[in-house]
Amino acid sequence: MIRFVLRRLVWSALVVWFVVSATFAMLTIIPADPVRALLGPHATPKTIERVRERYCLDEDLIGQYGCFVGRIATGDLGESFRSKRPVAAIIADRVWPTTQLALAAIFLQLVIGVPLGILAAIRRNRAPDYLANVGALIGQSAPTFFIGTLLVYLFGFRFGWFPVSGYGTGFWDRLHHLILPATTLAAVGVAYYSRVVRSEMIEILGEDYVRTARAKGLGERAVVGRHALRNALGPLVTLVGLDLGVLMGGAVVTESIFAWPGLGREVLQAIFEVDIPLIIGVVMFTAIAIVLANLVVDLVQAWLDPRIRIS
Amino acid sequence: MSAVIRSALAALSLLAACGSSDRGPHYRAAGATTPHRGGTLHWSMVQQVRTLDPAIAYDEITAYFTHALFDTLVGYAGSDPARPGSGLELVPHLAESWTISDDHLVYTFTLRPGITFSDGQPVVAGDFVYGLERVLATAESPFPAFLDDVAGAKDVVDHKAAHCAGLRAIDDRHLEIRLSRPYAGFLYILAMSFATPQKQAWVQAAGDQLRRKVLGTGPWIVESWDEGQRLELARNPRYWDPTRPLLDRQIVLENIPGDTAYLMFEAGDLDVVDRLPAPVYTWIQTRDDWRPFVHASSAMNVYGERMNVRKKPFDDVRVRRALNYALNKEHVVRLLSGGATPSHGLLPPGLFGRDETLAPYPYDPAKAKALLAEAGYPDGFDIEYVTIKDDTSEKLAASMQADLAVVGVRMKITLMSFATYLSAVGREDGPSFSYSAWFADFPDPSNFIDTRFHSRQIAKENSNNDSFYANPALDQLIDAARLEGDATRRAAMYRQIERVLYDDAPWIWNYHRKFIEVTQPYVQGYQPHPVWVRAYEDAWLDLGPDGERLPKEAP
Repeated sequence: MIRFVLRRLVWSALVVWFVVSATFAMLTIIPADPVRALLGPHATPKTIERVRERYCLDEDLIGQYGCFVGRIATGDLGESFRSKRPVAAIIADRVWPTTQLALAAIFLQLVIGVPLGILAAIRRNRAPDYLANVGALIGQSAPTFFIGTLLVYLFGFRFGWFPVSGYGTGFWDRLHHLILPATTLAAVGVAYYSRVVRSEMIEILGEDYVRTARAKGLGERAVVGRHALRNALGPLVTLVGLDLGVLMGGAVVTESIFAWPGLGREVLQAIFEVDIPLIIGVVMFTAIAIVLANLVVDLVQAWLDPRIRIS
Repeated sequence: MSAVIRSALAALSLLAACGSSDRGPHYRAAGATTPHRGGTLHWSMVQQVRTLDPAIAYDEITAYFTHALFDTLVGYAGSDPARPGSGLELVPHLAESWTISDDHLVYTFTLRPGITFSDGQPVVAGDFVYGLERVLATAESPFPAFLDDVAGAKDVVDHKAAHCAGLRAIDDRHLEIRLSRPYAGFLYILAMSFATPQKQAWVQAAGDQLRRKVLGTGPWIVESWDEGQRLELARNPRYWDPTRPLLDRQIVLENIPGDTAYLMFEAGDLDVVDRLPAPVYTWIQTRDDWRPFVHASSAMNVYGERMNVRKKPFDDVRVRRALNYALNKEHVVRLLSGGATPSHGLLPPGLFGRDETLAPYPYDPAKAKALLAEAGYPDGFDIEYVTIKDDTSEKLAASMQADLAVVGVRMKITLMSFATYLSAVGREDGPSFSYSAWFADFPDPSNFIDTRFHSRQIAKENSNNDSFYANPALDQLIDAARLEGDATRRAAMYRQIERVLYDDAPWIWNYHRKFIEVTQPYVQGYQPHPVWVRAYEDAWLDLGPDGERLPKEAP
């Protein structure tokens, strides 16, 4: 087990390194000059040259990569070209809003998607199943920007129940601000989770051990809740783990529509401004979040299901 | 991705503009006749403030705040919408008076007595010297180029000297600035926020934190800043002008998309909104109840299409003129919902030196065709046009494509991100035909003309003169106008320069964009400033007796 974890950690580090290096290479070969983007149209060639030197950008690709590796090796993610703030500090500021949004979205996905999937499975080919099917179809096919826009218009602007955008201050105000973006982000997940739970449940409800439980006179609630559902949750653990990893990288569209100060909005702005250190910092953070989520999912799966052997 | 977000938000604003019957203001002014103190103004920005360090902060967004936090020796008068060009006159700020030597090389300023920084420390002439020398010595500062004319400035930039020979504190209240060559627009440079006094001990103690921990002399101080979300400014009680500002506080929300901001404004969460989405602006102009609260002002900008005059077919002046005749500017103004004025050259309306009698090129496709035929292009030509990937630019490019097609020019549109565009167009081997714009650093014609059309500004890369237009006779005239101390003669020179550029047409002269804001009815005394745009020193809130917003009376 320990050897497995160590081997996975080494592989994870290599994956992160590859992702970061590929991002670095892509950012250095795109035709946009970060210094020109930073200083704007009024900059004189002399100022541009001075700033380029300051950030190692006057060197060739190898030189720039060396500069970059030297910095990263000492644990320094550098400073944002635009704000001159340390990249690590910017990421630290943005991680908590992103985490709140990700957790809230996953919470909604679970508390709505799972019961909906169970209901659709136990009322298969009846009205609740059809309704859940239609809901899932809409949730999966409607793009996030459409759902977000609709929610802002209806519940933020038209009815005035929720703030149109922003982050809020204090627990209750924050929660009030969180509901619309979390619902937007959860819409696709709710649909997906409900479909996964439905199909797993249908398969499990047809298994011999379920039939045996029923034959022994166990109530339907106990059959579904204690025997079927527990076994249907395996794939869901994988989904939640991977979703959490991806969502930790920021939800660009949702965060932009709702002015939510997370990593997604920050990296979008950084891309527009060719803020190379910040882009690389966020990519690195996201890559680490995803590989760790994968590792944790594998370990949890093994713990939940002894049939899975880690070797 | 950004296009998706923009489209979503545009749909939202369209829904908002069309979605309801009662969409007038929810509040009204209380009816006070004299301005009074107090209240908090809420507004928002599309982007976020990156730094408040006056030696570095340069972008349009940050300029609102550096202006609010850092005062300068001279400043601008308030603007009056009834008087074109108002707001551009220089008036004393931290300096109560100044003298200029006969040879226009030595400027001597007398500081106001008793002026202090916001923490109560006195402002002395040495603080100006330190502030300016810090700008010269800061590697990433974009401002040293503005101080090129100050004697000894270059030595500090090149690290050959620690102090600038042209800057001297005669005593605590008197500052001398010596130039190496005269420059008639120099006082405008001293009105830019980077030319603010700085306390050396404060700067050194703040270190890296100076980007947010600032000590200024402006009308406002930073009360709190939750970066990327919310910046709160409070009135500086030690500001040298005790009558201003009138508001107690400003709360500025960062990173709010323009369309969302408008919804927040309508919901009463914001007191002022700018950058109205086009459908909302078109709609609001039809509303009698909103129209009095729409503020439009000319801003110091110009938009056009630059042509690389060294490359075919733009090396022929007849082609360049033909394209000027081919563009239907009325159509452009309509596409911008009326928020623009057609231009005849670089200088915007109201700017000193502008030839107000010169009319823009008329829309005359027949003449354009004739000129193209004369230049050897009777069937037109194919050309690539580069512009920025945003809704407005794409829309305007498509309109121009249709106009040019009428005269036989087949234009292919290439869209680029702003960063890629900036890198591409300043190169001699870059695209020969593209969108171009200029926002003035200060309202002097030299800032437009020297920078964009003097041959000195041509470089192989990052060329500010991106038309690569070189005219030795015009260079001489530009240099002479820069030095000319007599305002009447100087204005005449700029009119002559405008005429030459109009005839030589290195750009398609297109339009000057207006700045448009809408305020709630209780926001009084506010007019966007032509230089600073958002400056709320004279704004006040006409609220109820307990400071509450009064709801609109029932009809």
